[in-house]
Amino acid sequence: MPPRFGTLDLNAWARMASTINGFKTEEWKLKGAEILELHLEIDDDPADALIPRTMHPAIPAYTIINVMHAPDSPVGPFSIGEVRIAGRTGVRPRGFVLRSFCDSEAARKELAARWGFPVAPADVSVSVRHDRVVGKVAVNGKTVLHAELIDRDAISGNDIQYIASMHLARNRDDQKLVLVQVDPEYTFSKAERGRPSVVTLDNDAFGADGHLRLMNPIMASFAVADVTLPKIRYICNPELPALQGTTKVAA
Amino acid sequence: MKFGLFYEISVPRPWGRETEKTVYDRCLEQVKLADELGFDSVWAVEHHFLEEYSHCPAPELFLTACAMVTKKMRVGHGIVVCVPEFNHPIKIAERTAVLDILSGGRLEVGTGRSATWTELGGFRVNPDETKKTWDEIVHCLPKMWTQERYSYQGRSWSMPQRTIVPKPYQKPHPPMWVAVTSPGTEIDAAERGMGSLGLTFGGFAEQEEKVKRYRKIIRSCEPVGEFINEAVSTVNFLFCHEDDAEGVKIGKRFTGAFNYLAAQLLAAREAYPTKSYPSLGLLPSLRRDAAGPGDESGAPEGIAIGNPARLVRELKKWESVGVDRVNFLLNALETVPQEQVLNSLRLFAKEVMPHFEKKEGQKHEAAAAAAGAR
Repeated sequence: MPPRFGTLDLNAWARMASTINGFKTEEWKLKGAEILELHLEIDDDPADALIPRTMHPAIPAYTIINVMHAPDSPVGPFSIGEVRIAGRTGVRPRGFVLRSFCDSEAARKELAARWGFPVAPADVSVSVRHDRVVGKVAVNGKTVLHAELIDRDAISGNDIQYIASMHLARNRDDQKLVLVQVDPEYTFSKAERGRPSVVTLDNDAFGADGHLRLMNPIMASFAVADVTLPKIRYICNPELPALQGTTKVAA
Repeated sequence: MKFGLFYEISVPRPWGRETEKTVYDRCLEQVKLADELGFDSVWAVEHHFLEEYSHCPAPELFLTACAMVTKKMRVGHGIVVCVPEFNHPIKIAERTAVLDILSGGRLEVGTGRSATWTELGGFRVNPDETKKTWDEIVHCLPKMWTQERYSYQGRSWSMPQRTIVPKPYQKPHPPMWVAVTSPGTEIDAAERGMGSLGLTFGGFAEQEEKVKRYRKIIRSCEPVGEFINEAVSTVNFLFCHEDDAEGVKIGKRFTGAFNYLAAQLLAAREAYPTKSYPSLGLLPSLRRDAAGPGDESGAPEGIAIGNPARLVRELKKWESVGVDRVNFLLNALETVPQEQVLNSLRLFAKEVMPHFEKKEGQKHEAAAAAAGAR
C-alpha cells in the first residue's frame, strides 16, 4: 500500500546508534524545561533517505529542530539539541531523531541507556533574549546548529503539539537495531510562537550527508514546561513498516 | 433521509498519463449511474497538493461535468475554500453563479477554510486568519449574488463598485453550507443560518448532541443569506454487497486505504500552533471512527459497509439522531474495482433506499433504473 516509505541505510546509521539497556526504564521528571522548537519544510525526495523503512515521510516533508534546557533532572541540569525528520509510523506522526547533542556526561549516559537517544557530547545552550530565543550546539568549538525564534509572541501552551520521537538504538541484550518511541508529556507554564531562523545547520554533524535541505520555514515555538520522559511504550523493527513491526512494551 | 456521493478523487501511484483521467472518468460514470438510481446529490472537495489522497483542486470543473452527465442530482461544493489566497471572493461568486446556471439551478455551496498545512502553507496562508476570512466571505457571497451593484471594504479583501455577473439561476441564491469538522463548528453553521455539512462524525450520541445544538441555535440565527438552510448532512463510506462478510471485507479495505492516506497529511495544528485550529480537523476523526470497534463482523459502528440489512440498520440510526442526508465516499486509491463500485450503488438503490422516505415519483424511477441495470 502507498504512500512512500523511508529509505534510510541502516548499516550506515548503525554506527551512530546508542546502546539501550532493555526497554523497562522508569520515567524522569524534568521541571521547568525551556524548549525551543523550529519547524521547517525540507526538500521531499532526499528526505526519504533520512527516515527508516518503518516510517512514511510527512506531506510535505519537514524537519523539527529542538533545543531544550532542563535545569532540574535526576542527574542535574543538562541541555540537549537535536534534529528530527517528521514522518509517520503507520498513521501516527513521529519525528525520527538524526542525532542528539548533550552537554552533560551523566545525562548523555542515562538518556542513551534508558531511551536510546543517539547522543554525542557538545556545548548546548538555550538563550532567551528580549526579541528572540536562540538555541546553539557547538562541537569542539564549532557551531553545528544555530537556530532562532524571532519576534516572540505569547500563545497558549494548549496550542502546542509536540510529536513523539523515534530513536534508532542497539538493544544491549541481543545487539539488534531497534526504533524506540519516546513520547514525553508536557505541562506548560509558558508558550510563545515566532518566526524561525536557521543560521547554521551542519548536515555532516547530524549525519544527513547533504540530504537535509531546508526549504520553506513554518514556525518556531518556545515553551517552559514540566516534561515527563516516560516509560517506553512501543518499539519498532526498523526494517519493517510500522504496521508489521511494532511491539508494545508497556501500558 | 437523502443520499449523496462525496468525492475526494484519490489517485494511486504510479501516475501514468492515463491514471488521473481514468479515475475522473470512473467518478463520472458513478455519478451518472447514481443519478439514474435516485441519489440526491454529488459533492466534491477542494484540495490542493494532497498527493494520492485527493486530486481534486478544481471542484467547479468536476461538478460542471457532473451536471452535464446528470439530470436531477444536485451538485455541491464540499467545500469551496473561502480564503482569498485560494479563491478570490469575486471568483467564488462568479464561478458558482455560472455553475448554478449550467446545472439548471442544482448548485449547493459548501464553504470552509482548509485544515492542512500542506495546503495553507502551499498558498502561504496565515492559519491564524482563516476563520476570520471565511466568516467575512460567507457574509459577502449572498450580496454578491443578489445585488446588481456591489462594493466592499473589509478586513481581508475589498473591491470598488462593480456589477458582478452572472447571477445564480436559483433565486434568491443557492443554499449555503458550512464544513463541520472541528468541535463546535456546527454552532458556526447554525448562527449563520447555514446547513451543517458534516465531514466527520463521532458516535451516534455525539452526533445527536451536535444536531440538537444546531437545531436549537438556528432558530435564533442571523442568516448570512436571504434564507435559512436548516439541514444536517454527514459523510460516510459505502460498500454494499449481498454477502455481509464480503461487503465488510471489501469495505474495510477501502476505508483502511482512505484513512491510512489521510494520516500522512500534515494537519495545520501539527505544524503550526494556533487556536484557529483547535483539532486536527476532518481526517483523524473519520479515521478513528472507521477503525473503531464494531460488532463481531469487524464492521465499525455507523459505517455503511456490508449487506443491505446492515446498511439499513446503521443508516436508520443516523436518521434517528437527526441527520437529514448522508454523503458517501465510494472508493480510495481505486482499491475497489469499478464494476464492484457500480454494483454496490445498484444494490444500495434497490435494497436500502426504499427503506428511507422519498417522493413517490423518485422512488419508482430509481427502482426502474436499479432493475434495468442488473
